[in-house]
Amino acid sequence: MSEWIIILIKIICALVWFLVIALYLTWVERKESAVIQDRIGANRANIWKFRAIGLFQPFADAIKMIFKEDFTPKFSRKFLHNLAPFISFFFVAVTISAIPFGDVLRIGGREIKLQVVDFNVSLLFVMAMLSLGIFGIILAGWSSNNRYTLLGGMRGAAQLISYEVALGLSLIGLILVYPSLKLSAIVHYQGEMLWGWLPKWGVFLQPLGLLIFFFAALAETKRVPFDLPEGENEIVGFFTEYSGLKWGLFMFTDFMEVLIVACLLTTLFFGGWQVPWLYADGFHFPWGGEWLLPHGIVVAFQVLAFNLKVFFFCWLQILIRWTYPRFRYDQVMDLGWKLLVPLSLVNIAGTAILLSLIG
Amino acid sequence: MAKILIDERECDVAEGTTILKAAESAGLQIPHLCYHKAFMPEGSCRMCLVEIEGLPKLELACSTQVRDGMKVSTKSESVIEARKGVLECLLADHPIDCPICDKAGECKLQDYYEEYGLFESEFNEEKEKRQKKIEIGKNLLHDQERCVLCRRCVRFLDEVTKTRELGVFQRGVHAEVATYDGILVDNNYSGNLAELCPVGAITDKDFRFKTRTWFLQSRESICTLCSRGCNIYVESHQGFSRFSLPKRVYRIQTRENQMINGFWICDKGRYDYSYLDQERLDKIVVNNSEDPQSWQEITSIVAGEIGRLFHMKRSSHIGLILQSWLSNEELFLIDKIFRNDINIGKISFLDPPEESSDDFLLTAERTPNRRGAKEIGFDLQPADWEKFLEDVDLLFVFASPIKGDTDFSPLKAALDKIEKTVLFASHNHEINSLFDMVLPMSLIAEKGGSLTNIVGSVQGFSPALDAPGNCKPAWQFLVDLAKKLMINFDFYNQFSSPESIREVMKKEIPYFREEHE
Amino acid sequence: MIKALGYFIAIIKGSLITTRHFMVNMWFHTLKLFRIKTKRKGAVTIQYPEEKRKIASRHRSLHRLLKREDGKPRCVACMLCVTVCPSECIFVEAAEDPDPEVQKVPSIFIIDLSRCCFCGFCVEACPEDAIRMDTGQIEFAEYSRDKLIYDLEKLMG
Repeated sequence: MSEWIIILIKIICALVWFLVIALYLTWVERKESAVIQDRIGANRANIWKFRAIGLFQPFADAIKMIFKEDFTPKFSRKFLHNLAPFISFFFVAVTISAIPFGDVLRIGGREIKLQVVDFNVSLLFVMAMLSLGIFGIILAGWSSNNRYTLLGGMRGAAQLISYEVALGLSLIGLILVYPSLKLSAIVHYQGEMLWGWLPKWGVFLQPLGLLIFFFAALAETKRVPFDLPEGENEIVGFFTEYSGLKWGLFMFTDFMEVLIVACLLTTLFFGGWQVPWLYADGFHFPWGGEWLLPHGIVVAFQVLAFNLKVFFFCWLQILIRWTYPRFRYDQVMDLGWKLLVPLSLVNIAGTAILLSLIG
Repeated sequence: MAKILIDERECDVAEGTTILKAAESAGLQIPHLCYHKAFMPEGSCRMCLVEIEGLPKLELACSTQVRDGMKVSTKSESVIEARKGVLECLLADHPIDCPICDKAGECKLQDYYEEYGLFESEFNEEKEKRQKKIEIGKNLLHDQERCVLCRRCVRFLDEVTKTRELGVFQRGVHAEVATYDGILVDNNYSGNLAELCPVGAITDKDFRFKTRTWFLQSRESICTLCSRGCNIYVESHQGFSRFSLPKRVYRIQTRENQMINGFWICDKGRYDYSYLDQERLDKIVVNNSEDPQSWQEITSIVAGEIGRLFHMKRSSHIGLILQSWLSNEELFLIDKIFRNDINIGKISFLDPPEESSDDFLLTAERTPNRRGAKEIGFDLQPADWEKFLEDVDLLFVFASPIKGDTDFSPLKAALDKIEKTVLFASHNHEINSLFDMVLPMSLIAEKGGSLTNIVGSVQGFSPALDAPGNCKPAWQFLVDLAKKLMINFDFYNQFSSPESIREVMKKEIPYFREEHE
Repeated sequence: MIKALGYFIAIIKGSLITTRHFMVNMWFHTLKLFRIKTKRKGAVTIQYPEEKRKIASRHRSLHRLLKREDGKPRCVACMLCVTVCPSECIFVEAAEDPDPEVQKVPSIFIIDLSRCCFCGFCVEACPEDAIRMDTGQIEFAEYSRDKLIYDLEKLMG
């Protein structure tokens, strides 16, 4: 029984964390873009004249979105049209269950893994769920029964499928280095030290893999510079016929994808919840120092470290989104098929050769 | 014949022609203010100075006659300099109040300054103050500051009307045009003075401050207020896209036609144009209700009524009352349809009574086309109305009742008894309510056709205005009606414009075959 | 390949520029949050309804009609503004003035501001310097179009 309650609490905690951070990512995006562009950004939303540097903006947006007309075109396929945003949303939301937020928390003799479900193949699970998200896009584009949305959907599907190849291939090198598909195990492997002082993070062991993964993942979020499915000034995108809450869901899914990509980058390449030289009993510095800490503090450090890393990558992605202009369609395809896929193959071969040489 | 060279251009003109006329025949414009084709040259404005080879000084183009082999230059340096000097002297005393001057836009002084002047004035002196608003006629205002003393107005009153109300008084800088002892210019042609004045010294009270000249669109037409058929320009405002104007026509100007009216029109024709806009009937009215009806339906109904009586061999019970506001073509069509094809027998004219004429342009007949009706073969004598209206079942009245002109009282009593009465009218009138059907008609100024004036000249005209609302030219209705009646269809089917009707008319009626224009 | 590398470096450079902007601006924003006064600000934004920018001297704002010394409009209804107006938003009707030196005054002078494009041609065209666009008023939005039709009285202020 208590197992179930714990699972339930974990699910709720993970979802709340996920949704709240994603919600505030909309605010962060507006504020960060403003700061980059020497502006102030949204700061007018207030409660009783209390503005709090625009922190209420996401709620104002949400209220607006809820009260907008939910318009379903007469010529659309109603059921699929309504279903599409939920498919998109669901397959992203479910991914969070495989992400490890920290190591094991021990309360009252019970060991709680700070991860909703610890699959044996959680990496595959994550990849699979992310791929299924394409359905939402295709359905949205197709069920709207509008040429432009269909075109947007098709572009979206083509782009996502193309980059999925590079994304998958870039991770094979990683799996060769950390011989597991279990995310928690991968994070654990990254706690080990190379030459006694350098953490065995993916960024050090798989730098090329990281680069490929990062590009491919950016493309997967289908945001600028890879926002061809939307392409406002060319085809107006797959959710042209959506409005109100359903449109909001699509947009929200984008931010959730940003967050998921940040989580995956952290987990796979930046040691997840690992803090350098922090072990279960405290810090053991390579130059011989020691700083022992109680278990609770260590777990707190780990969760904090994970969060900070995730936030950094969210920030980085938004920075990229507000720096570059959109690629042309042929450039996107060139980058995917002619650069990232061959490079990831080179990466796999190199990693394999190196590993077999080291033994 | 004399051969002369004007600006290297050769031209052959008759001996005794002035240089100005010769230049105009060669297509060269020489600026002039005081000279007017209608009068003898005056030579007071000095604008028309030209250089003649072999002569030490510049000569006046308006009054110098050509000699064989003369070489004239209108563009030499000294001529240009002289024009500038003349303009500068004229403008030294001419107020630059163009913003409030009604002549602005068609003022010769303005045009010439733009074309030949464009100097900075070297006069530092104050301009002479004079009276700016003197009433010199019942329709005219005089601004002494603007006057350039061309004496066109004085000459017009001396030579054309011979009433001599104006004169030039004082001398030198004090010279001014004025009336004798304040007796106003009061003749039937006074309106021409405002048009004649090359600057804004004499302006029209009727046009005063109404609009600016450059907003007006000027289109050719023929005056219809008497049977003289004077040639006119109807000047109308096209309106602004977002603000509506009270009327379309702002003034009537003369159009030169030496055969009929010369350069002038009478004041009646010039000022009585309000009928073009006021009280216009622009909707089809059936049984005094303005429910929307289309011309197609109405034509069918009328054709049905005529057809019914025709097939019952009762077409002699159809009555037709005409007014000579109709064009030759329309009268011809009426003649064809009602006299030839249906043979109704009861046709009569009800024209407004004759009024006094003057001995120049204005005639006694106050409708434009009585002569045309006569030539087509109608009897213009008014009928014995009681007898005429007896056992009439269907009555058509073509009237263009300009308020109060025509006496409809003989009809009034009988209208109730007649089964069906149809009025073709262009204006709202008290008589309209007595008819079963009132159909809006275009005026002469709004349609094409031709008119025959009192001396028998046939003059074509084309629309000067757009027809308001649902108005239709009578010829168009008559052609449609004839086609609906299915009598002689092929004959009427060839008519698509007034010109096509005129062609057939010329073949059928010998009078119109000859050139009377 | 070298060309591609060049692109890559340019891309990195680009993101460094945005990062620099972010960092510098964030620094000043943070200082402001802690109420530390600095010469430079984190943003160039003018917080409009509260802060207002000074209107340039040649800025074309709401029209006004100038008056003569006796309070009558300086306008003589010459309709040059009506003629020149590209959006046909001016309507003028002239009337007679008893003073023979003035003669012509506008009885109706309407500017439909909902159509006006603020090109200033009317000011350029006016021979009497009777219309100007120097009131400095730029806030005259209304909820109904009728209220944007300004007549003589409103324009004379």
